[in-house]
Amino acid sequence: MLKFRKGQVASHTFLWAYVLFTLFPLVWLLMTSFKTNREITVNTWAFPTSFNFDNYRAAWETAKIGFYAWNSLKVTVIACLVTVLFAAMTSFALSRMKFGRANKLVYNFIMFGLLVPSGALFIPLYRLIQTLTTEYGIKLYDSHLGLILVYSTYALPITVFIIYAFMLSIPNELEEAGIMDGLSATGIFVRVVLPISMPALVTVTILSFIGNWNEYILSQLFITSETLRTLPTGMASFNDGYRTNFASLSAAVIISIIPVLIVYFFLQRQIIEGMTAGSVKG
Amino acid sequence: MNKALRNPITYIAFILPTLALYALFFVYPVIVSFIYGLYQWDGITDKVFIGLDNFIRLWTDKVFLKSLLNNFYFLVFSLVVNIPLVFLISIVISKVSRMRDFYKSAVFVPVVISTATVAILFGVLYNYDSGLINQFIRLIFPESWAREWLSDPKLAILSILIANAWQNVGFFIVLCLAAILNIPKEIVEAAKIDGVNAWNETWTITLPLVRPILFVMLLLSVSGTMKVLDIVQIMTNGGPFQSTEVMSTYMLKVGFRSMELGYGSAIGVAMFLIILVLTFILNRVTKHEEVQY
Repeated sequence: MLKFRKGQVASHTFLWAYVLFTLFPLVWLLMTSFKTNREITVNTWAFPTSFNFDNYRAAWETAKIGFYAWNSLKVTVIACLVTVLFAAMTSFALSRMKFGRANKLVYNFIMFGLLVPSGALFIPLYRLIQTLTTEYGIKLYDSHLGLILVYSTYALPITVFIIYAFMLSIPNELEEAGIMDGLSATGIFVRVVLPISMPALVTVTILSFIGNWNEYILSQLFITSETLRTLPTGMASFNDGYRTNFASLSAAVIISIIPVLIVYFFLQRQIIEGMTAGSVKG
Repeated sequence: MNKALRNPITYIAFILPTLALYALFFVYPVIVSFIYGLYQWDGITDKVFIGLDNFIRLWTDKVFLKSLLNNFYFLVFSLVVNIPLVFLISIVISKVSRMRDFYKSAVFVPVVISTATVAILFGVLYNYDSGLINQFIRLIFPESWAREWLSDPKLAILSILIANAWQNVGFFIVLCLAAILNIPKEIVEAAKIDGVNAWNETWTITLPLVRPILFVMLLLSVSGTMKVLDIVQIMTNGGPFQSTEVMSTYMLKVGFRSMELGYGSAIGVAMFLIILVLTFILNRVTKHEEVQY
């Protein structure tokens, strides 16, 4: 089948063993998702006797995965767009516009955000969202708007960090050409700098998309209505209710990860790059 | 000449949206958490100023200390198990000549799955009756070796640590592999000409040259393990008998279940300060270590 160079057989065997360790739980879960609860206990290792989709039907209907996934998609995409747009505008102003001291000050102020873990702020943040909702009539608590604003904000520092570094490296000549053509600052941003910054924009879009899509705790704190839940919270509550019903539970997990794996299959390189970008440079 | 780039109105319009969001949802909570920490407050009646009492109470609060200890278990596990494993696998991947990209993509799969899903998945794997782990044990060993992985207070934390490692190791492998593949070929080839074998090459060339990435991994481990939350909350929520409680799960319980907002905020502040101090120490220890090719 595969020919390995001499002396590398041991290495490949070792790596295959690790890949098996990594992927087998998922494969096993896939097999389990086609079995009945009795089959799971009796024939843990066997292939399912038949491919019946009853578990999937049950999971889809009771866990409302499609519904939660739609909520997640809405929140994720909007928050992602807000983050990238705001961060790109800010990065452009800080890296290309000529306001030396202000630039430095604002940049350092935003980078302070990389230092504080959002986890330490849940209580004051929760109070803030609640106060804005009850006392100022801005409905952020138990609404997608609240989640979108909070997700956007918490992704800003790392996004500015990555886009800023990229924009700083763009040679002056390009924007000078734009100035000669009589473009305003906004024109230079939209027509010159944004198109060149595409690689960085793709990276941060992936980074914030996956972060938002997988976010669990804030959505659990701020959303109380069942109809507004996002996928991770929906899955967690399904898990609480169906802890013993493995058949449905595994089907639900499979449904929730299939779209992610499909996207990952096609965009592996970009996703791996995007998700690791922040930590290497940081 | 470039007046366009000195237009203050555009400048303000471009930075204001970011600053507004950032100030309201990030900076304000940071400041307020320090202030809340100085009060006794249930969120309904008036706040009572108690100075540093909340922070002093942390030192005598057995559950908090247990939580802190558990966070350190996460850190130690990461240093002793995850990082050596990461190095081992990355080095082996860098040495093979085929299928590198496949291995890289395969180990990264758990990273893209949400932590909530990973927690549920491992809940199923660890189940006593039909979970994969116990069924595997029953296949090879006597029945009595099967365990209640998540409801045995002695085992629960270890079970979570393994699930957490399963999800995170791939991320580190990709970082580490990139660093190893970045080492200039000439250095490795020069060493080979000098007759250095693979084992010595790893110890004397690869490891010293990828030290910066080790530093990055240590930093990520410190902040990741001190603020770990999702996986613990879904798998055990701190139980059984608070044996898996970590700082953040305890903070949420204190803040939202017992409605002690002041004390809860103090735990959040403590978490932030602990991460800050550990990061600072790490920075000092590894200072002046620049790698030059």
